[in-house]
Amino acid sequence: MYNVSKACLAGFALLLIGVGSARGQGVNGSITATATVQTPITVTGTQNMSFGNVFPGVAKAILYSDASNAGKFSVAGQASTPVTYSFTLPANLTSAGNNLPIGSWLGYENATNSTSGGSGITPSATPTTSTLSGSGALFFFLGATVTPPANQPAGSYTGTVTLTVSY
Amino acid sequence: MKLLAYAVALTALMVHPLSGQRPISVTGVRSLVFGAVLPGVPAVVPRTSAANAGQFDLTGPHDTQAALTFTLPVVMTGPAGATLPLLFGGSDAGYSQSQSVASQIGFDPKQPFVITFNQNGRGSVFLGGTAQPIPTQRAGNYTATITLTMVSLP
Repeated sequence: MYNVSKACLAGFALLLIGVGSARGQGVNGSITATATVQTPITVTGTQNMSFGNVFPGVAKAILYSDASNAGKFSVAGQASTPVTYSFTLPANLTSAGNNLPIGSWLGYENATNSTSGGSGITPSATPTTSTLSGSGALFFFLGATVTPPANQPAGSYTGTVTLTVSY
Repeated sequence: MKLLAYAVALTALMVHPLSGQRPISVTGVRSLVFGAVLPGVPAVVPRTSAANAGQFDLTGPHDTQAALTFTLPVVMTGPAGATLPLLFGGSDAGYSQSQSVASQIGFDPKQPFVITFNQNGRGSVFLGGTAQPIPTQRAGNYTATITLTMVSLP
């Protein structure tokens, strides 16, 4: 009798295992998600735009080709990749609450650090497209004109030019 | 001893109806591949992309139902522990009874989804998604694991 009970129990256990495996069982599988992030963009202001001494009533221009005084930016990123750039340009330089008008912005963009072999641009807030060089570089050169009125107060005037570049 | 034989025979009879049908299984077939991604530029892989969508192949007893549940990462991990946000939209997963990427029923991978196996006892799940690198995202290779769990329903 004891053997019979054991046999029945064993059979019942096997039965439960069989049914259990057929109902409500879970299996899983996995995959990977992959991405290769390219080089982020860096923008560096490498030379300030410098007008030097300016006299009231006398406009003064700095050409983008002026190696010593033109503004200059260098950009680094993923090689041979299109980018969009824009400038935030001041309308005035300021000093102790006084304004010195600045305008007539002219610029130049180039894949090399030179004002030849590239393209002339008109810097503005409007997004413009360009392409990073085969080494991932891009250079911008800026010139502008200040127009102090005859009654321009004396002082040291400054303003900020911002270049924004994105893929 | 005879009774033990009966018990084993009964057990075999109960299990026998499942023999000859496909066992349930989930197999990761293809990774979800975003490829080259630019910092600051979201990269989208649709679930209908034959080359880049993730794919799982499923098997199970024909004409039965099963519940699917994803375990989805929120980021991919890259160099020096850098993370790259990963998003899944409400229709980024798709189920195909015919295992064709061109013939899917879309579903939300963040919610459980019930499928019905066809006569062949096979099916495939495809998965798309969006990688959202920030503008200063560190360059390098990023990976994450996506798991699909399937539970057969009575």
